Amino acid sequence: MNIQRISALVKMELKKIIREPAYLFMMILFPLVLTLSFGLGFATMPSAVPEKTQFEFMVPGLFSYACIFIIMSVAQAFSDDREQGLLKRINVTPTTSGEFMGSNLITYTLLSVLQVAIVAISAFLMGFQALGEAPGLILAFLFVMILSLCSVGLGLITATIAKSAEAATGISFIFILPQMFFGTFIPITETTRPIAMFLPSYYVTDAITMIFNGVPLTEINIWFDFTVVLIISVVIVVVGIGLFKRYGKV
Amino acid sequence: MLAKMKKNRAKDGPEDVYDPEHGKAIIIKNLVKKFEDVTAVNDLSFEVKEGQIFGLLGPNGAGKTTTINMMIGLLKPTSGDVYVGGYNVKKSLKSIKKFIGVCPQHAAIFKFLTGRENIELFGNLHAMDKKEIKQKVDELLEAVTFTEASKRKAKGYSGGMLRQINLLMALVNNPYIVFLDEPTVGMDPRARRKTWEFIGSLKEQNKTVILTTHYIEEAEALSDTVAIIDYGELIAMGSPKELMERYEAKNLEKVFMKITGRRIMEGV
Repeated sequence: MNIQRISALVKMELKKIIREPAYLFMMILFPLVLTLSFGLGFATMPSAVPEKTQFEFMVPGLFSYACIFIIMSVAQAFSDDREQGLLKRINVTPTTSGEFMGSNLITYTLLSVLQVAIVAISAFLMGFQALGEAPGLILAFLFVMILSLCSVGLGLITATIAKSAEAATGISFIFILPQMFFGTFIPITETTRPIAMFLPSYYVTDAITMIFNGVPLTEINIWFDFTVVLIISVVIVVVGIGLFKRYGKV
Repeated sequence: MLAKMKKNRAKDGPEDVYDPEHGKAIIIKNLVKKFEDVTAVNDLSFEVKEGQIFGLLGPNGAGKTTTINMMIGLLKPTSGDVYVGGYNVKKSLKSIKKFIGVCPQHAAIFKFLTGRENIELFGNLHAMDKKEIKQKVDELLEAVTFTEASKRKAKGYSGGMLRQINLLMALVNNPYIVFLDEPTVGMDPRARRKTWEFIGSLKEQNKTVILTTHYIEEAEALSDTVAIIDYGELIAMGSPKELMERYEAKNLEKVFMKITGRRIMEGV
């Protein structure tokens, strides 16, 4: 692993986000607009939990929701770079696939954490109050980081299947929609729970909900969620990298 | 760990690995590439001497880019061997990547970066020293009078300007062997002439250049040796002068038309 290469690739990806208005909107404005919209729409609406408003009930789900949209960004970015011959060009330099994939994992995890930070700050500004202490917030962000890694993996699987950046956008919804409906801010019923249990965002939302409800961090269910989401994410990242390297037509 | 990585890098530059075999920068032996039932390259064999500009000519779909892609490891040959700088591409691609520069047919450039940033990025991907990158980028940009324009984002560049940056990106690591796949397509005649001069100057630096081109006058003006391929087969090879004498033609274009035209007439 060469740090100079990884850092150059991370800087290049970050410049893309900063300099391209469409990416900048997706990364910065989207989570802000999302939280503000939900905050304004549901701040006074009662939820199924008596002491909480509907907005407060939804915030942990919004954390996961912001993460899963990284799938689309990764799929678009890889498909676009492939179409323009940039992946081939990088492939004929001494850059290893580990360095290249590593730089992308770092970049998109960073961006995902930034998005969730925007969601968190705007939610807190709109009156959301989390129970528990600072370590709980750190653990919540750790869950977010793992889900982001998983999203990068799913983005790579999408880019492998898609023939163009446009197709990648559409195909990414195969992975985004189920996670959105069964693992974020939409209440899970007994009918939808069996589906949700196959989705990483379900475990992240479940754990963050417990953390923000002030459940002790030693609670076994939080660490069960952590273990499940970690295993799913590692498997998806490994499969994503493997598939993209083998069939991604770099 | 960092110290170990830095130490490895110091021993790992292009000069530490480049090792041509008896003055031959590239050796191709019985190279075949099949895409399902289409044979794109058919039993191709030739050698490229060190420090030469080697022109690879052929009509559209002749197999030029496929051959180059096998030389740089982007495509795996169906059979046969390619040796670049003394290394077998199948076994030692990692070493080869340290001393080659590749300018692809289509300008592969990050449009949101400036021209300078694009070249610098590839210097970093070759793990060059920061000072060395700056010095080399300045030198390259000056050589093609691109210094001022290089501060702008590549998004606003004309087709010709993109081709120029595309070429410079291939040279930032000071490669021993440079692969130029149609480097002047889309350039106006003035920029093309300037690029020819620039490519000619690479020979003075003792670099080996593999040049594919549609412009026969480009191959004639620049190449020490020309290989004409058609339907993936080598059909003629020699210096432009030798080929003109052999085929009793006034220029390389006539040679090209004679050989490839005859093959079309004969239905090969």
